[in-house]
Amino acid sequence: MQRSDYILKRTLFALLTVFVAITLNFVLFRALPGDAVTGLKCHNCTIQFKNALRKDLGLDKSKWQQYVIYLKDLAHGDMGTTFISHRPVRGELWDPIKKTVAMIGLGTVFSIVFGIFTGVISAWRRGTVLDKVSVWTGLAFYSVPTQWLGLMIVYFVADRIGLPHGGIQSPDYGILGNPGTLDFLKDRIEHMILPALTLGLVLYGDYTLIVRSAMLETLGEDYVLTARAKGMSNWAIVWKHGFRNAMLPVVTLIALSLGFILGGAITIEYVFDYPGIGLAIVDAIDKRDYAFLQGAFLALTLSVILFNFIADLLYFKLDPRVTT
Amino acid sequence: MSTRQPILRAEDLHVWFDLPGDSELHAVQGVSFELRPGERMGLVGESGCGKTTTILALMGLLPASASVAGRVHLEGEDILAKGEESVSPHRWKDIAMVFQGAMNAFNPVKTIGSQIAEPMELHGTATGRAARAQVRELLELVGISGERAERYPHEFSGGMRQRAAIALALACEPHVLLADEPTTALDVMVQAQILELLVRLTRDLGLAMILVTHDLPVVAQVCDRAAVMYAGEIVEMGQMTTIYHDPRHPYTRMLFAATPDLLGDEDVLSIPGAPPRLDHEIVGCPFTPRCDSAFAPCPTAHPRRLEVAPGHEALCHLNDHLVAERPA
Ligand SMILES: Nc1ncnc2c1ncn2[C@@H]1O[C@H](COP(=O)(O)OP(=O)(O)OP(=O)(O)O)[C@@H](O)[C@H]1O
Ligand SMILES: [Mg+2]
Repeated sequence: MQRSDYILKRTLFALLTVFVAITLNFVLFRALPGDAVTGLKCHNCTIQFKNALRKDLGLDKSKWQQYVIYLKDLAHGDMGTTFISHRPVRGELWDPIKKTVAMIGLGTVFSIVFGIFTGVISAWRRGTVLDKVSVWTGLAFYSVPTQWLGLMIVYFVADRIGLPHGGIQSPDYGILGNPGTLDFLKDRIEHMILPALTLGLVLYGDYTLIVRSAMLETLGEDYVLTARAKGMSNWAIVWKHGFRNAMLPVVTLIALSLGFILGGAITIEYVFDYPGIGLAIVDAIDKRDYAFLQGAFLALTLSVILFNFIADLLYFKLDPRVTT
Repeated sequence: MSTRQPILRAEDLHVWFDLPGDSELHAVQGVSFELRPGERMGLVGESGCGKTTTILALMGLLPASASVAGRVHLEGEDILAKGEESVSPHRWKDIAMVFQGAMNAFNPVKTIGSQIAEPMELHGTATGRAARAQVRELLELVGISGERAERYPHEFSGGMRQRAAIALALACEPHVLLADEPTTALDVMVQAQILELLVRLTRDLGLAMILVTHDLPVVAQVCDRAAVMYAGEIVEMGQMTTIYHDPRHPYTRMLFAATPDLLGDEDVLSIPGAPPRLDHEIVGCPFTPRCDSAFAPCPTAHPRRLEVAPGHEALCHLNDHLVAERPA
């Protein structure tokens, strides 16, 4: 097996998974009792109106025909129209996804940087007070419920450091004349910091513990003793022989967890009233907005597949043994 | 016998391991020997008798849970006197080792070549292009094509990795090579090739070598001298031929008699019983329960180390009559 084949194989596999995900997304929504129109509630939703709507949406056609239409539309980037606002789902999805990605991006970078840093130090200085403090802090953040941590931050931290409790825009934003790009960014980031911090802390607990244990395992390997015998200093051993090997399992775990975060930040968005994809999904469930939900679920699934793919590529880059 | 000064001398070396729960394991109990330049000495004994621990003590590579006593002189200098500070300048440069389980001595995500070049760069014997050229030469020396320097460990077979581990040990042109069971886990053909390689290298490069193994016949093939270890002590030591023809410790005799198992499992020694545990003090001769010649003093008195012939010492009550004849 050639190493270059690996990328091809992974890519094909990812594409196949995407196809399966699309199909499942279609099937699951049709497998629910009732259809997109049944649950619709409005004043003038008479039987006639609903039947007309069904015809309009193509729900009177056979499931197979519907599937073909669904695939065709998707291929053109058309994910349908939302029921409530009658706008294209794609655009409606994009806006909250952007906001969520920015927020979790910030939180994730925080957690990866600090998680790896303290995890490595902790393994290197195993058994010291530093290690113990780091492990207990990690465990605490790892086990705390996300929404509780969020609430505590809203109650005890927000006011003290003068950051907004929630939302994404200050009430007085833009009142005094047209704000510039810089003002806009500043306002956005201020609203992002606390939800990102909440997510970052929870992930931090997870990552620092993983990094520490991966690092400890690596430092017990024979080649680490060899490195020491060759005359390498402790820190050089940790860095040159420990770190990269320890990163192999870590990279995969982090990438996998990132895939799920997009949809998993719902509680955080709820606590901070942050209008990301999580809140949009909750809202769409309330309103029985099938089209939007179907689009949202597809987007979340695709993010999991995407990060899996990234994990595969990184693993390939880091580990010369990977060939299949 | 060579009259040259010993290149490596261990004097009354002891190693204790701290065990959980306040107990200690006395893994090496007063080991002394001399190794002369160009000499090949075999260190033989069953699993757990302290061979690896002795070797690691010589290199100053024992884990923090170990405490060491005694002296190790390398070319006249006591390298254990000031701990890490006094060993590290010599380690790999003057005394290097092939690790037990050398198959895993290489980091899987770095090329073999870069890992062999590492000690050169760390000790400043060669850098950059010069180091790479030397790596190729070393690989050729141990019978691996120089181009393979760019390959990763998983692309090497077991025997080749063992050869690469030997090349790694030779990276800084040491004078003493410690090889810890370099042929265990290899098939018989490859074993023979590696042993031959070690003999050739030590002869051509004038290296002194300690070959650790639990296979006395292997030592007989390769080494000039042999030291037989049992329960943390050297129980017999002398010229290979002397020991072979005139073993003065029943353990040595039984080791020679214990031929490799016909089914190919060569690790099985057919001496009945097992070595004693080393985590409590042993009264008398530790070999007594398994010895076929044990007599009155054995269970109660620890035997004295006696020179049974010039350059041949043994630790067995059977030789006690020599003391009576020759007052010490
Ligand atoms: N790090 C350690 N901590 C505690 N005890 C140890 C440690 N390393 C070795 N020992 C003990 O010291 C004794 C000697 O072990 P050593 O590894 O030196 O034996 P060996 O002769 O090399 O055996 P083998 O042929 O299996 O390699 C054994 O009883 C072993 O259990
Ligand atoms: Mg050993």
